[in-house]
Amino acid sequence: MPATQKPMRYGHTEGHTDVCCMAGDDSGVLQRGWRDGLAVKAFACKNGKLVTAVSNNTVQVHTFPDGVPDGILTRFTTNANHVVFSPDGANVAAGSSDFLIKIVEVMDNSQQKTFRGHDAPVLSLSFDPQNIFLASASCDGSVRVWHISDQTCAMSWPLLQKCSDVVNAKSICRLAWQPKNGKLLAVPVEKSVKLYRRETWNNAFDLSDSFISQTLNIVTWSSCGQYLAAGSINGSIIVWNVETKECMERVKHEKGYSICGLAWHPTCSRICYTDGEGNLGLLENVCGSNEKMSSSKVPSRVEKDYNDLFDGDDASNGGDFLHDNALEIPAFSKGLMHDDEDDDGLMLRSHILEDDENPVGMTWTLCMWLSPLFLTQGPWFEAHGYKPWRTHSFSVWNSIGIIRCYNDEQDNAIDVEFHDTSIHHATHLSNTLNYTVATLSHEAILLACQSTDELPSKLHCLHFSSWDSSKEWLVDMPQDEDIEAICLGQGWAAAATSALLLRLFSIGGVQKEVFCLPGPVVSMAGHGEQLLIVYHRGTGFDGDQCLGVQLLELGQKKKQILHGDPLPLTRKSYLTWVGFSAEGTPCYVDSEGCVRMLNRGLGNTWTPICNTREHCKGKSDHYWVVGIHENPQQLRCIPCKGSRFPPTLPRPAVAILSFKLPYCQIATEKGQMEEQFWRSVIFHNYLDYLAKNGYEYEESTKNQAIKEQQELLMKMLALSCKLEREFRCVELADLMTQNAVNLAIKYASRSRKLILAQKLSELAAEKAAELAATQTEEEEEEEDFRKKLNAGRTAAEWSQPRPRGQAEEDAEDGQEADDSEDRPALHKHGQNSSQSTNSSDMPAVKSGEKYFKVNSKEPAVSVNSARSANILDSMNKSSRKSTSLNRAANTEKSTVIKPLIPKPKSKQPISLDSIPNSIPNQTGICLQTGFQMWLEENRSSILSENPDFSDEADIIKEGMIRFRVLSPEERKAWTNKAKGETASDGAEAKKRKHVDESVETEEQKEAAKENLRLPKKTKASGLSTNQKLAAFAFNQE
Amino acid sequence: MDAAEVEFLAEKELVTIIPNFSLDKIYLIGGDLGPFNPGLPVDVPLWLAINLKQRQKCRVVPPEWMDVEKLEKMRDHERKEETFTPVPSPHYMELTKLLLNHASDNIPKADAIRTLIKDLWDTRMAKLRVSADSFVRQQEAHAKLDNLTLMEVNSSGAFLTQALNHMYKLRTNLQPSESAHSQDF
Repeated sequence: MPATQKPMRYGHTEGHTDVCCMAGDDSGVLQRGWRDGLAVKAFACKNGKLVTAVSNNTVQVHTFPDGVPDGILTRFTTNANHVVFSPDGANVAAGSSDFLIKIVEVMDNSQQKTFRGHDAPVLSLSFDPQNIFLASASCDGSVRVWHISDQTCAMSWPLLQKCSDVVNAKSICRLAWQPKNGKLLAVPVEKSVKLYRRETWNNAFDLSDSFISQTLNIVTWSSCGQYLAAGSINGSIIVWNVETKECMERVKHEKGYSICGLAWHPTCSRICYTDGEGNLGLLENVCGSNEKMSSSKVPSRVEKDYNDLFDGDDASNGGDFLHDNALEIPAFSKGLMHDDEDDDGLMLRSHILEDDENPVGMTWTLCMWLSPLFLTQGPWFEAHGYKPWRTHSFSVWNSIGIIRCYNDEQDNAIDVEFHDTSIHHATHLSNTLNYTVATLSHEAILLACQSTDELPSKLHCLHFSSWDSSKEWLVDMPQDEDIEAICLGQGWAAAATSALLLRLFSIGGVQKEVFCLPGPVVSMAGHGEQLLIVYHRGTGFDGDQCLGVQLLELGQKKKQILHGDPLPLTRKSYLTWVGFSAEGTPCYVDSEGCVRMLNRGLGNTWTPICNTREHCKGKSDHYWVVGIHENPQQLRCIPCKGSRFPPTLPRPAVAILSFKLPYCQIATEKGQMEEQFWRSVIFHNYLDYLAKNGYEYEESTKNQAIKEQQELLMKMLALSCKLEREFRCVELADLMTQNAVNLAIKYASRSRKLILAQKLSELAAEKAAELAATQTEEEEEEEDFRKKLNAGRTAAEWSQPRPRGQAEEDAEDGQEADDSEDRPALHKHGQNSSQSTNSSDMPAVKSGEKYFKVNSKEPAVSVNSARSANILDSMNKSSRKSTSLNRAANTEKSTVIKPLIPKPKSKQPISLDSIPNSIPNQTGICLQTGFQMWLEENRSSILSENPDFSDEADIIKEGMIRFRVLSPEERKAWTNKAKGETASDGAEAKKRKHVDESVETEEQKEAAKENLRLPKKTKASGLSTNQKLAAFAFNQE
Repeated sequence: MDAAEVEFLAEKELVTIIPNFSLDKIYLIGGDLGPFNPGLPVDVPLWLAINLKQRQKCRVVPPEWMDVEKLEKMRDHERKEETFTPVPSPHYMELTKLLLNHASDNIPKADAIRTLIKDLWDTRMAKLRVSADSFVRQQEAHAKLDNLTLMEVNSSGAFLTQALNHMYKLRTNLQPSESAHSQDF
């Protein structure tokens, strides 16, 4: 029967971890931490004594299992690396980095023996079972056997690689004597285990296996001396039968971490192992077929053992510090033991070796934005169903405040502190009910405790913002239902229970909805009206977690946004933080430090926005997320040096990290801008959400965001232009607003990329058409109204001066009819979306400036992009302007503006040939004045001659025919007349602040210079020139 | 310059505080401060930090160097070296004094830090005295003193220069003048 490998569990913060198994009454599991600045370097346990090598260079004794310090055994000049008990338990041997080995009597520490001879730090020690020899391995590459009695070296083999220090040693070379008689000494050397005979010290044989691909770290004998287990630095564990030299088991660590602790159960066929990352694992039924090894009870017990090993807390001494506390306290020395006192009931006991400086049992656990802290961790939950193990110490650090829980022996209390003292003053609560989870918000503090034998699980709310005098309420859960997670929102509280129910309460204590959860809850978070629930969907494969997420809105309109979708996690990671950004977007963090945020703009997908591990200096450093802000973009977190959890003392300070989307080629300018652009998009999604849900938000923020995005797009376009990537330019332009596209066209034409300019203008037209199409429906209704309005215009409105056109006007008058067809083409450029939908029925392009000066008669307006010499300058201006106007324009427009029938794309060939046309175009516009004046004068005569002319178009047609007949001199005269009027009219027009004004002369000149004014007749197809002229003439009346 | 003036200058040093109130940026002649977000560290001048601390409006984050281990190292280094070693802050003495007087509850191991800083100060002052002594004995014309803080310079500078003046006068007027016959009777 092959060994079954139980899933790894998180046993300890990362770092060297050790495990040992004690014989007899004291069998159990111990783990030790070996971390920077941490206390315990090594330990050993026997006969109710626990010996630890502590980082202050001492070897200390503690009582076991209470962990009370019991004196210092010995001191070294540096850290001890390994301590072992002699077989009788009377002596302790310790090997130190100062090259010395000492053997000290436990009862009388004055009896010391010192072994000198190693030339480098001592790695490992092993006592001979007969208490005659001591074997040691050192960084100097030698493995020595010493006579304990006279401290002389009996044998020395140069077996290992030399290195300068323990941390550099490839293998910690945990050697071992065969139990009972000590006939053989096993030494892990490279990829094999060398066995040396006692007394003769010759190499009896080697044990190796093709499965071993890396250096072996550790060997351990089973208590019967028949089997030998070895662990390698890449996570393989191999078990041999020493007699037959046959390989019994080959097991690979699921993540390939270095095996640095191995211990056989004294009676059962189980091996407990730890890895360099602090995980604890268990192998069951090792060499299970052998009766010698496994007692008959084993098979029946196997299943429950592993559970009990770690979760026996419920059954046993609840007041004790449980292992989970110990695990979370990075700064303290710690010990963790499993006390296997009898075969029926496994008792779990853990304790903390106290460090005088730090209050014990105080940890930060998880914290969230207005949300609870209750998260399960570690993939080992999946295997055994959900079991909250973070039960005896908790605290919260969110954007509101901090909750600390002290539950050491003297004091069992909860401290609540608010960042902003104006919310509430700091409070101190006694923790008589043993609260296990807590959270706090602007309105209340919410606490919950597990059920005990007598008392049911309770939810306790301190509603400090209540205006009446009773500021707290307490609710009992039904029998056998434990609260597992809680959270607070605005005006409500929620509790998820072990009965897979979610209970909603109002903040004042009214019970509200109850609904079923799809799986055991992992964590919950609340913000405003939103409730986010993360739960286990099932068992993940291959160390991955399988979580689901639900997002509900509990406002007036209750709805579910995320329907239990899978929650993406980095492979083999687990969830460490769930919450909302300050703006209300759900976010979460996994154990690999990846922060993800809901992208509401992309169908509620999750986008990674930051990898906190990238900011960490050391491998074992982490960031503890405290809050996420979208505006300004801040990831608030606490740097935790060498741990996952922040230390309680000194009080850590919050650091601010920036967000970075994982875009490719971030080193290049292109990649950077792309990242910035999409980050800006994602981080402003919340504005749309707020708008949709009727929250207030600052318009300026949105405008700024759009401006920023358009600027980035422009920059990217400029970059692509430089790189001759015209296709890419068009793609970029596709992301732009109409306004920016116009600037892009300008940029393209300036940089002599005419094909690009053409493509872009096509795109602009397409965009305009799309926009128009969406607006058509509403606008159609307004058409008639619009016509009336047009009719109501005064002649003066139409005869707005076009100052710049006048100069070129002369001699071109005769073409006016033809030219007028081209005129709309002018409008194409420099119009934003709103304009191009409606402007072609206007006699002239309207200036954006005039938007603000709408007269009451004609509120129909459009925005033109302001132009200036500098493209980027103007972009800033125009985008700001246009965006601020867009909203207003959209609403206003729809009521007043006459729709343009959706324009087909301009299919007319546009080429350089057509450019000369642009000059007549200009005059075409200007003609209006000359012709207009003439028409006005002659209208009556036309009407009298053609009394049947009711249509404007007819009148104008007739007028044109007549105007053409005039001699050039006459026409010039009219033109001049018009010019004369222009001056006065110009001033007047300004006074009147009328909308209908021509494009700024500057612009047009510039445009002419650029030869960009490409005629687009199709633009006008929706409304014929005649119609327009008709409208125009009608106004004259 | 006297000590109070030096302290005044030191109050311009920036320290990090964690405010427990919310306030927008404040615009002062010396520059803009803030914005203040509860729970979020912000750099402010020492004078403001102390003022806020006195009103219990903030928690002071001790400067990075205000740490027992670092200071121990610094002190040992100072003791080992003949010359002055660089100090953690140009106003370390004033900062320590002010922060420990007003915000000792926010500084872990305040007493140890006070002692260490005092040690550091004493070592440096001893060095200064010794060097002044040898300077005077050897009748040197000039000496170079690096890494001295303003407070240290001012603690002995005024006296030393005056003393040197007097000594110069005494040396140059070795002959007793008319008024110097007071010992005669």
